[in-house]
Amino acid sequence: MAGTKVVIVDDSPFSIAFIKGILVRNGLEVVGEAGTLEEVKQVIKETKPQLVTMDMTLPGTDGLECTRAIHEIDRNIKVIVISSMMDDEIVKEAKENKVSAYVQKPIDEEELMTAVNRVMSSEELFRFLSSEYIKIFKEALLDGTNKLTKSLIQYKDEHICSQEFQSEGLAVIVGIIGKFSGRMLIDVKMETAYKLTASIMKREASGIDEVLAVLGEFTNIVSGNACSIINRMNKAYGLRVAPPTIMHGESIHITAPAYTTTNILADSDFGEILLNIGFQRGDDQWM
Amino acid sequence: MDVKYINPFIEAFLSVMPQLGFEKVEKTNLSLKDCNLTYTGVIMTVGIVGEIKGNVVYYLDLNSAKKVASTMMMGMPVDEFNEMAQSAISELANMLTANAATFFSNIGITVDISTPTLLYGDQVSVKMNSNQILCIQLLADDIPIDINIAFS
Repeated sequence: MAGTKVVIVDDSPFSIAFIKGILVRNGLEVVGEAGTLEEVKQVIKETKPQLVTMDMTLPGTDGLECTRAIHEIDRNIKVIVISSMMDDEIVKEAKENKVSAYVQKPIDEEELMTAVNRVMSSEELFRFLSSEYIKIFKEALLDGTNKLTKSLIQYKDEHICSQEFQSEGLAVIVGIIGKFSGRMLIDVKMETAYKLTASIMKREASGIDEVLAVLGEFTNIVSGNACSIINRMNKAYGLRVAPPTIMHGESIHITAPAYTTTNILADSDFGEILLNIGFQRGDDQWM
Repeated sequence: MDVKYINPFIEAFLSVMPQLGFEKVEKTNLSLKDCNLTYTGVIMTVGIVGEIKGNVVYYLDLNSAKKVASTMMMGMPVDEFNEMAQSAISELANMLTANAATFFSNIGITVDISTPTLLYGDQVSVKMNSNQILCIQLLADDIPIDINIAFS
């Protein structure tokens, strides 16, 4: 948390000085102040903070309008409202405007810092997950394939998937739930699924039901192993996987969710295997 | 599968749809299906973990999906099932399941939900994680929506 760049939005010099004192004592870097909508836009653009503390009542504007303006500039900036007013209606509106936390004035130092720590640690956890998950899921797929079939896979392509794509024939989807939720999907040609099943079972597949069951379990193992590795890195992730849902057919379009996913393509002895994974940033940090 | 697992989904539908601008919402049928479903249209799957574990698969045909997306977007015409419409329908699955999770917590069952995955296509076979699937058929302003529930 130390070194986090913060902008304070408030129209009272006393409040600004008071909040600044708390933040600086706790190692944060206050990079700017603003009291009007115009000042907010200017200061945010110039100082690019990670966090903003936001008063609700401001001359000619309000905290929610300013929050929206901040998120138009950069939606990753976290906003903590600090206001003397706090009731169910205003808190609900704040949530709807993507405020991360709400602290009531008069400010209690410990309460404010707890809110800051929660909001910013969530940010750090997400950044770490974003930087690590691709490597971990690739390892889990490689390892799962190797242990079950005694063969290796070769990764050949990896790209951000922002558009829908067509399934090769069989898609197994696993929902991921935890600190951040998301999904993992394995997509293969039906022919590949049959070959993979035969290799795992060490005999020809008995039929489509067996192939679906094997692919479902295979996907479950890969996603479960990958999520366990992530949980061991930091138990705050608390990732769990839902049972697989399997779709197959000749014309299946898999749409892009509202968050970023990555498509990873591998060559195996059985044909190409597509792995698609992504996590949603989420706003479960409300407090 | 215990019937008490169905009510949260029905309650969610009856409470969410009117908020999205649908005037008439009703449950038309409830049936137990075997594990294989085949659909032509729009399918959304949402994972559930917690005290119970499973999946919910929502289904609408393509025209219904466009109509629902249009209503959700204040009547904006939806001619194509484009990204905007997909996003609205995806959000619908998310809202319905999140609300169902709240109704579950009201009866003392804690569950968490995954993000929805939305697919569409022709003759898509869907295999869920249980051999018995409860299918609730509902109508929102006469638009049919299926909710399939499988808990393992």
